[in-house]
Amino acid sequence: MMDRQKGRWTLAAFPILLFAQCTPVPPGEATNLEPTAFHFVDVAAAAGMTRVLHAGRPGKDHLLDSAGTGAAWLDYDRDGHLDAYLVNGWKLAGNVVLEKGSNALYRNRGDGTFEDVTELAGVGGEGAWGSGVAVADYDDDGWVDILVTNFGANVLYRNRGDGTFENVAREAGVEAVGWNTGASFFDADADGHLDLYIAAYIEATLDDVVGAERTLDWKGVDSVAFGPFGLTGALDHFFLSNGDGTFRDATDRAGMRDRARGYGFGTRAADFDADGDLDLYVANDSDANYLYRNEGGGKFKETGLWSGAAFDANGAAQAGMGVAVGDVNRDLVPDLFVTNFAEDFSTLYIGEGRGFFRDASDDSAIGAATFLPLSWGTVLSDLDNDGDDDLVIANGHIYPQVDDHPRFGMTYVQRNQVFANLGNGHFKEVSDQAGPGFALARSSRGVAAGDYDNDGDVDLLITSLDEPPALLRNDSSLRSWLSVVCRVPAGQGGVIGTRVEIEVGGRRMSRDVSSGGSFLSAHDPRLHFGLGSADHVDRVTVHWLDGTTSIETGVRGNRFLVIDKRP
Amino acid sequence: MKKTLLVAICFLVLTAIPAQAQMNDTETPRPLVDAYDSLADTILAAKKTEWNLVHSILASTYGHAEAVMNSAMTKLEAAGDASADVEKLAALVAQMGNEGDASIAAVRKRLLEGGHHHNAKGEEQGIYDEGFVIVTRASKKVFLDSATRIGKLGSSASKDALTGEWDTVKKEFRKLHAGTPLGM
Repeated sequence: MMDRQKGRWTLAAFPILLFAQCTPVPPGEATNLEPTAFHFVDVAAAAGMTRVLHAGRPGKDHLLDSAGTGAAWLDYDRDGHLDAYLVNGWKLAGNVVLEKGSNALYRNRGDGTFEDVTELAGVGGEGAWGSGVAVADYDDDGWVDILVTNFGANVLYRNRGDGTFENVAREAGVEAVGWNTGASFFDADADGHLDLYIAAYIEATLDDVVGAERTLDWKGVDSVAFGPFGLTGALDHFFLSNGDGTFRDATDRAGMRDRARGYGFGTRAADFDADGDLDLYVANDSDANYLYRNEGGGKFKETGLWSGAAFDANGAAQAGMGVAVGDVNRDLVPDLFVTNFAEDFSTLYIGEGRGFFRDASDDSAIGAATFLPLSWGTVLSDLDNDGDDDLVIANGHIYPQVDDHPRFGMTYVQRNQVFANLGNGHFKEVSDQAGPGFALARSSRGVAAGDYDNDGDVDLLITSLDEPPALLRNDSSLRSWLSVVCRVPAGQGGVIGTRVEIEVGGRRMSRDVSSGGSFLSAHDPRLHFGLGSADHVDRVTVHWLDGTTSIETGVRGNRFLVIDKRP
Repeated sequence: MKKTLLVAICFLVLTAIPAQAQMNDTETPRPLVDAYDSLADTILAAKKTEWNLVHSILASTYGHAEAVMNSAMTKLEAAGDASADVEKLAALVAQMGNEGDASIAAVRKRLLEGGHHHNAKGEEQGIYDEGFVIVTRASKKVFLDSATRIGKLGSSASKDALTGEWDTVKKEFRKLHAGTPLGM
């Protein structure tokens, strides 16, 4: 079937038509070829995602007014369709609070539209000024839960499994009042229970926010919101699970004390040194980024300064916002991408193995193209199913005042960017050719990637200041794909950090199940692989966190493959 | 605290100025000038003290690194496992590049929050990172690059490779050591 209005094939007809149209191009052999066409269309309004995400005052007098909020994909009702969660801020006029924006949970009807079930589910955000979101089955009861980080007390929505949630943040011990930002669940001490890292930005009170005045001189031509320099960095938190649905603060004990008081934003757990346990990366605004290497037993060592992942190639601290992890050069070693402030490039750190990185922003052709925009949420994912990780960046300035000074070449609303991987870790910006979805100009922040319509391509959910979200449906001309769904029995540490490696025509690709990443957002936990024109995968190997593996061979493509960990 | 002290000094000085002296002269009263001059000594001395302190931090880190380097070499000569020392050396060299560890960075940030830039002019010229006192951007890069290379040596470190990197560190440190505080 084809929806002629949308020009889009449904899942049922997809594989047959795909094979009829493609010429054989094995994944990973696209080096230096022109990228496949990218085409994205914003269907948020038509799909029913209309909630405006508030962001303080129009003038953005305080940094909280312009930090924005995150988005998440999750399947809270386990019906096989990704639902969406969006975090909201407050709307202010001067020092008056006009509206405490409600977060939104959109249930996926399975037909490309969503139903707002926020009130029914009880996940509106408790009136807090929201920041980020992380999703995980923290209590291991088989239902995915939602952590909302806030300016104020965090909210932990426990999924009751009947379509409703309850806030258990206080009982769980994770309220951590402050300006909380990025968060990642992961099993840090390999005890079978998910632990939690929450980054924090600056120390500020509500009085500071509502009473803020723009006092920072911007290029000698205007006054803009003050900070973060001049403001005290807030301490990040690491919570160790007690195994009973509660947590205890173990920041110091774990060696994760935020001694530099970094202005923390994006976080991402992954096994960067391939030693079988999960490490953690934290992007800090205007400070050295942290790389916490897992030493085992719930202890970490901060190795950012000498691993090559704290600074850019010149040794300069950048204004880290969002984080993406992928394998851009297909060497099976995780690479890092960190978005940064305007007039500074975003940084691609190529993994060199054993937890070391090198700044390849210039070599990859990303550096120059990302210099002018102010960048936030980001995703490394195979958007055209050609077998390599492409790159998406959400952009938008924090100072509306820049529009009054066009000679500096910056605008408050900015277009988001998409870069095609040319197959060897080199990228080509294709934003202009990526359809109307990438022609939108907003002040965007969070990006969550997920195949919400289960049609075998990765769609994008993007938040923007004072706007409804954008839902960029991926209508790119597609090749073959495989999406791997990993499932772990209760009490075995969950699925986060599980790594899947596939082998297609002698080439291997790797993905891991993430928590955190992007900017304040959470991606589809299913692992998406582009296969080129291959119709099957020779081998799928799942590396579970406990060191065991599951292997499947001769796997047919163009489908969701569920792999359960043996108890 | 400082503000209160300054106000108290000014009050005492002003009350000590004879009314006649104030009436006959448009110049700033001498006692005020003297007080300000004295305060200037304190301010400038504080800057010098800051330089000395940061220099001590660097020297201490370098000394620590040197001891770790020697320990690593001893282990390598005995065909032992020097990987822990090598990693510690990498961390210490990186700290030299960052002009101290994370705790020092927090202090530096606090000073910046208060508007204090030790090398304001040098920062404008791109010579120093914000708040840095001694380590130039160029030196920072040398230390950081060397730290990463040392870290990568890990358990496969050889005496020659380690010595080569240490020579780089030593040379850069001596260069800084020989430097004089800017503007003093």
